[in-house]
Amino acid sequence: MNFQTLMDVIGWPLIKIVILLVPVFTVVAYLVWFERRVLAFFQSRLGPNRVGPLGLLQPVADGLKLLLKEDIVPTNARPFLFKIAPIFVMTPAIAGFAVISWALPWVTPAGNTHGFVVADVDLGILLILALSSLGIFGIILGGWASGSKYPLMGSLRSASQMLAYEIPLTLSILTVILLAGSFRLSDIVAAQQNLGWYFLFPGLIAFGVYLVSAVAESNRTPFDLPEGESEIIGFHTEYSGMRFAFYFVGEYANVVLISVVAASLFMGGYDIPFVKDAALYAAHPNLASVLGVLSFAVKGALFAYFFIWIRATWPRYRYDQLLRVGWVVLLPIALGNLMLVALLKLWLLR
Amino acid sequence: MNAAARFIKMVTFWELIKGMVVTNKYMFKPKVTELYPDVRPVLPYRTKGRLHVEIETCISCRMCEKACPEGCIKVFPPSKEVFKTDKRPAQFYLNQEHCLHCGLCVDPCPTGSIHHSHEYEMVVYNFDDLLFDKETLPYDLDQKQYRWNVLGNVPVKR
Repeated sequence: MNFQTLMDVIGWPLIKIVILLVPVFTVVAYLVWFERRVLAFFQSRLGPNRVGPLGLLQPVADGLKLLLKEDIVPTNARPFLFKIAPIFVMTPAIAGFAVISWALPWVTPAGNTHGFVVADVDLGILLILALSSLGIFGIILGGWASGSKYPLMGSLRSASQMLAYEIPLTLSILTVILLAGSFRLSDIVAAQQNLGWYFLFPGLIAFGVYLVSAVAESNRTPFDLPEGESEIIGFHTEYSGMRFAFYFVGEYANVVLISVVAASLFMGGYDIPFVKDAALYAAHPNLASVLGVLSFAVKGALFAYFFIWIRATWPRYRYDQLLRVGWVVLLPIALGNLMLVALLKLWLLR
Repeated sequence: MNAAARFIKMVTFWELIKGMVVTNKYMFKPKVTELYPDVRPVLPYRTKGRLHVEIETCISCRMCEKACPEGCIKVFPPSKEVFKTDKRPAQFYLNQEHCLHCGLCVDPCPTGSIHHSHEYEMVVYNFDDLLFDKETLPYDLDQKQYRWNVLGNVPVKR
């Protein structure tokens, strides 16, 4: 095994993971700041603005505070499960970023290409679905291992919530996969570029179903049943310090993940609007890549803003209402839409 | 409302979107939060801040002392010989600790010597700092934030 093979197998993926993780954690930390600021703006407040200019150092202060707090394991808790549960939430949410294709490949002066993706696996979107389903285990384990009845009730609500959103979510993504003809995220974006418009328009109904299910999947208002910040007691009641921070990071990483997945499935991902990407890429490949990342970031930020917006507006659903919405409304709509799009694909988009 | 319109409203999530438009309007409206230490509030004209007494124009009539419901003003007139030529009080005590900022001492003052200023930062470390006498009572009038209420001696309509 020579150096070149070693680099290709281990070296470059590791370097890419590090390059990816730094911005992902920064974005997750600043999403908290962004949410607090924007939510405050919606409520005619100003939000955190004391730490640093515009409160930009607030995430640092929050992180330091959580790091320095005492790590308490309750007497009634099951220590091993209690300690391992937050990792179950954070790891899948972070791991999902590995398969997301951020831009067209970077071209070095020597002529080599490096994709803006850690692992461009051909079942990428399926991997994201599988990982996001794993995240629910952390919530259920955490609630059960706390040895307290309120966290247990929170995780039970979470389990019932999972029954409601998983199938509509998968069906709505299946619509996009049908249109693109591939599970690979870079292929889905390429299909939108070839088609000339984004899947938002042929898949408008699927987009709606995806948004509702994605909000439920990331446990956010109006479907924040497991947590229920103010009214109902959540699954992480017994957690403190860094373990609580793991849950927090996991939740916000999930928000970023569903935002970028929505951007690449329905809004064309790193496609630059109103520009012929293929021509630009042929002329200035690296410029096209950088602009593509920026465009992707803007689209993801719009989705993040949208999720905060609905948090500021809509009240919480009861979990029987959520189950009814999932099974009686979303599932038939998603199924019918899937058939409709299949016919559309068969007749019009040949 | 007929069934068709209701169905269209249900399918297009009309009510939900209406709510979102309302919240987004508030996103761009001015915020109500006061940034107090950084940005000083603009006070109303007749703000009743700490009492200010112009000792130079005071004639020691003790009307403010009689009007004060808390008894926090004490005026000591000068001796009879001095009073014939100089009517300024020999000593003037104000116990700001008990002051209600009611303005009852301002109304009867014949010369308009006592009135409210615009100072509102009156937090001190011990009570003695709230006891003012002839020397410590007047403000440093050069400082803009200590400007007094110029309407203090205008009779208030009842």
